Amino acid sequence: MGEADQETLYATICREVMLEKQLTGHKVDRSICAWFWEQSISQGEFVKLPPVIASPTHYLFQIVREGITFLACTQVEMPPLMGIEFLSRVADVLSDYLGGLNEDLIKDNFVIVYELLDEMIDNGFPLTTELNILREMIAPPNFVNKVLSVVTGNTSNVSNTLPGATASCVPWRTADLKHASNEVYVDLVEEIDAIISRDGALVKCDVYGEVQVNSSLSGLPDLTLSFANPSVLNDARFHPCVRFRPWESHQILSFVPPDGQFKLMTYRIKKLKNTPIYVKPQLSSDAGTCRITVLVGIRNDPGKTIDSLMVHFQLPPCVTSADLTSNHGTVNILANKTCSWSIGRIPKDKAPSMSGTLVLEAGLERLHTFPTFKVDFKIMGVALSGLQIDKLDIKNLPNRPYKGFRALTQAGEYEVRS
Amino acid sequence: MAPPAQSQRSQSPSQPSGKGEVSDLKVQLRQLAGSRAPGTDDSKRELFKKVISYMTVGIDVSSLFSEMVMCSATSDIVLKKMCYLYVGNYAKGNPDLALLTINFLQKDCRDEDPMIRGLALRSLCSLRVENLVEYLVGPLGSGLQDHNSYVRMVAAIGVLKLYHISSSSCIDADFPSALKALMLNDPDAQVVANCLSALQEIWSLEASTSEEASREREALLSKPVIYYFLNRIKDFSEWAQCLVLDLVGKYVPSDSSEIFDIMNLLEDRLQHANGAVVLATIKVFLHLTLSMTDVHQQVYERIKAPLLTLVSSGSQELSYAVLSHLHLLVMRAPILFSSDYKHFYCQYNEPSYVKKLKLEMLTAVANESNTYEIVTELCEYVANIDVSIARESIHAVGKIALQQYDVNAIVDRLLQFLEMEKDYVTAETLVLVKDLLRKYPQWSHDCIAVVGNISSKNVQEPKAKAALIWMLGEYSLDMSDAPYILESLVENWEDEHSAEVRLHLLTAVLKCFLRRPPETQKALGAALAAGLADSHQDVHDRALFYYRLLQYNVSVAERVVNPPKQAVSVFADTQSSEIKDRIFDEFNSLSVLYQKPSYMFTDKEHRGPFEFSEELGSLSVGESAENVISAQRVDANDNDLLLSTSEKEENRAPSNNGSAYSAPVYDGSISLPASQSSLAIDVLLGLGLPPAPAPALVPLPPPIKLNPKSALDPTTFQRKWGQLSLSLTQECSINPQGAAALMTPPALIRHMQGHSIHCIASGGQTPNFKFFFFAQKAEESAGFFLVECIINTSSSKAQIKIKADDQSTSQAFSALFQSALSKFGML
Repeated sequence: MGEADQETLYATICREVMLEKQLTGHKVDRSICAWFWEQSISQGEFVKLPPVIASPTHYLFQIVREGITFLACTQVEMPPLMGIEFLSRVADVLSDYLGGLNEDLIKDNFVIVYELLDEMIDNGFPLTTELNILREMIAPPNFVNKVLSVVTGNTSNVSNTLPGATASCVPWRTADLKHASNEVYVDLVEEIDAIISRDGALVKCDVYGEVQVNSSLSGLPDLTLSFANPSVLNDARFHPCVRFRPWESHQILSFVPPDGQFKLMTYRIKKLKNTPIYVKPQLSSDAGTCRITVLVGIRNDPGKTIDSLMVHFQLPPCVTSADLTSNHGTVNILANKTCSWSIGRIPKDKAPSMSGTLVLEAGLERLHTFPTFKVDFKIMGVALSGLQIDKLDIKNLPNRPYKGFRALTQAGEYEVRS
Repeated sequence: MAPPAQSQRSQSPSQPSGKGEVSDLKVQLRQLAGSRAPGTDDSKRELFKKVISYMTVGIDVSSLFSEMVMCSATSDIVLKKMCYLYVGNYAKGNPDLALLTINFLQKDCRDEDPMIRGLALRSLCSLRVENLVEYLVGPLGSGLQDHNSYVRMVAAIGVLKLYHISSSSCIDADFPSALKALMLNDPDAQVVANCLSALQEIWSLEASTSEEASREREALLSKPVIYYFLNRIKDFSEWAQCLVLDLVGKYVPSDSSEIFDIMNLLEDRLQHANGAVVLATIKVFLHLTLSMTDVHQQVYERIKAPLLTLVSSGSQELSYAVLSHLHLLVMRAPILFSSDYKHFYCQYNEPSYVKKLKLEMLTAVANESNTYEIVTELCEYVANIDVSIARESIHAVGKIALQQYDVNAIVDRLLQFLEMEKDYVTAETLVLVKDLLRKYPQWSHDCIAVVGNISSKNVQEPKAKAALIWMLGEYSLDMSDAPYILESLVENWEDEHSAEVRLHLLTAVLKCFLRRPPETQKALGAALAAGLADSHQDVHDRALFYYRLLQYNVSVAERVVNPPKQAVSVFADTQSSEIKDRIFDEFNSLSVLYQKPSYMFTDKEHRGPFEFSEELGSLSVGESAENVISAQRVDANDNDLLLSTSEKEENRAPSNNGSAYSAPVYDGSISLPASQSSLAIDVLLGLGLPPAPAPALVPLPPPIKLNPKSALDPTTFQRKWGQLSLSLTQECSINPQGAAALMTPPALIRHMQGHSIHCIASGGQTPNFKFFFFAQKAEESAGFFLVECIINTSSSKAQIKIKADDQSTSQAFSALFQSALSKFGML
């Protein structure tokens, strides 16, 4: 480190280079991209290249977000996570600025993208990657701006002042923020990853959560957030604004928030013994056909409605055709043999089930590879881990702000084997 | 104004479409350059955007240089930024034109807006044209003293850029000491970080020539400087924190209380949202405590949770990088993650590069307490759609089996894989079963029973085929079919493309021959003949060696090829512990991801094109199956054999006697040629087969009666077959219906038994079947008839060889045998 970390940044999609930024004197030839694409094509469509690969001349970092590949090259030894984390940050910032990530958005706004990259990295060393600060240096290309530019005739999307935070002692926050309505929202968002075996046993179950905060508070407010049951947490990671000591001694989150939306904390839950729903696939094959039934139901009522329930799976390659029907929701079979059964809410009066037959390839008596069923669902209003916010205190604020709390649990990688 | 260099344009022949548009742009820019009409900036912006977008897609727009510079006189900051970007990209290729830009950039460096000052300074330093260095020093000097931190931050990196263009002007202007002063006093953390980053690079490059620079570099690691950074660490951006942590990692604390102070100060960094910070902190902790065993162990416990969180909750790319580090840690402290093994279970949607690492982790953390669960989970992956993951999973099961004491359940599972009837599963499993047998010979009975059922036709991969052949040779006594399978493999010698398989086949046939000579004799002859004619040098040499060894002394051959084997206790790891230690020193570096010390890929001399793939390739070439540390006796088989071949060659030429080869261990114990060598090697090779006696010369013998209850044990049969000379050879056609009946060889055996002709061994696969029969005359203690009958169902031919104790009756027996065959519908 300290040496030229990343020498060149590329954002590419579908073999076309969209952006290039040379960071140090040793200019990297663009043929490196051609090499990279050859590699990724030679590996086949479904095999992804690892995030760090060696080319004959350089070491390449790559991440893929929304179909766009972000590529960085280096010739010297450096901490690998710095490369990967930085590229992820670039992708996050761009996606936030442009309201998404796709080829058109980047091409339409590439001047802004260059401006952002200019501030985010210089000579291979990452500088400002904090969104709130970047926003003050380079205005996002939003609708309001366009209207403003028409009204005022000022077409520059660069603010005329430098961000105050570069001079403040709280680097993630501008010194004198003013909001007409003071409000702060705290969301608990949990994701449940699980593997369930064919006999219904829980092979693995992990819950990850995030405390997302959206703050629009004036001045320099000081917040304290405490949980009713912090003991369920196993490990947590914090936004730089969180003070470590109060957490270590009393599990209290004490912080001066950045302005706007940010991730205050991410955590991992010790153990979850039960899942809210069950999905029971049954497959029996004989004489070239396979009979399939999938039953879905509530196992452990979380107290709130389970919503956006969906089961999808990939038919094994040896299946030539499938005929599937359900007593609730709709079943779709795509050309690439992906089946999805969207259930929505579980009805009160009946248990949803899907059944049908799969026709196997000629010469094959029985099914040998069984599909894995992926399940999606959402439960609004509850954090499945049971983590609860006790209270949020705000100091340093002249008038009482509005405080909002929400919770949401959704399925992450939730899979059922058959 | 000088016309732009036209030659530059021809550099992009792949995009000729851009040419006309570029000259259009040129005209339009010219028109706008002098204009002061309202709205000019907007039109300029559109044009600039076009220019930049051409530049981005790779069209050469350097010919617009002078027009772009002319248009740069504007107060619009976005236009300025685009112009800076353009200039920065093309200045290096056009030093003369770059001079044009100096003027306006220098003017912008004095702008009242700090943002413009900073941007202009950054662009000025990014021109990277040597003859412009003189214009750089002034703005940089004032930039370092600018009252705005943004400009100072840019200037600090600017100094580094200047150093790379011209180190002497950077040193002469005394910029390093100015940077040092800023680093130690500036209130802005980012300025401090940039100074540190620039100074580290400058001083380490200077250190080789300047003593002062190397002193300064040392001083960065002094206690006051380190503490200065540590105390401010929370002010730094996450990236600057990584820089500081890297510096702290090189610091050597004076005593243990200092170590604890530093660790206390940095403990909360383990919970930073940025994974790079977390990993850099872990590195500091591991390094600080390396000499304090107990604390080091506690550090492992402390870093476990953050690492696991990073693996499971981050992006896939992050998971990959962290898993690589976990893999390194787990090699040092396997017990560390043994209860967290579920974190390494693979999810269906994960990319295979993550799955592969997770499989390695599962293998590494397996111990007595969790083996059952881990192996159960791994077996799930064997049915995975992703073939390479399925293979790796089988491999992982095998690896676990090799490192565990209780392999009972694992062996059963592996054997179940063989029954799945998928080519790649069978292939991968065979290789593993072979390794398992070498370590746990006690399982041979169970394994061989299952392996014996595998048709060698279904095994195509060289490694698997070699493994199967090895087992056929090694366990030829337990597998009744072994000689016949080997024989059919030898017959397809020409179609066998892998030299590795042919080498194994030679050895296996010889092993089998030494145990079951009569049945294998023909196969050995054919194998040696084919081996001698082989174009592959190793195969040829080995065949030649075996041939001479057998000629010399069969019992010596026995000792060379079938020495008593002791079970392999530890298989050699492919990576030496020295390399592992080195990588550990480079924790949090790319070398962890490549699993190679960094000198192997960052040093120029190690960096050949595609050297990684080549190295990997060479690992698997040759006798990689023999990568064994403690069981050299097993290896001796193959490796020493080659050595002794050359030894023999050398001994033949007396002048070479003093050669550097050390005699192989066997030489010392070789006795003089033993007389018991009853086999004529030339017969073996089929070179001098005695012609079959002409049946016509023999008077028609009286019919004979056979003993229906005669008995002969295989050993005696073998001995007899070896001792007796051939009394009769006959070839006859068979009818296709009879051949079809041979799809079930036992039927023929039962049929012949009905005629008092007993089968002692049989084997082979369509189209070649081979049977050994014996029969005894009805009189007491009468002589035996031994028959070898080879039936080829596709050519509908049967070859019958008869040996008899009493040669005179063999003709009569032959008639009897053929009539029995014909009753089966064969003839």
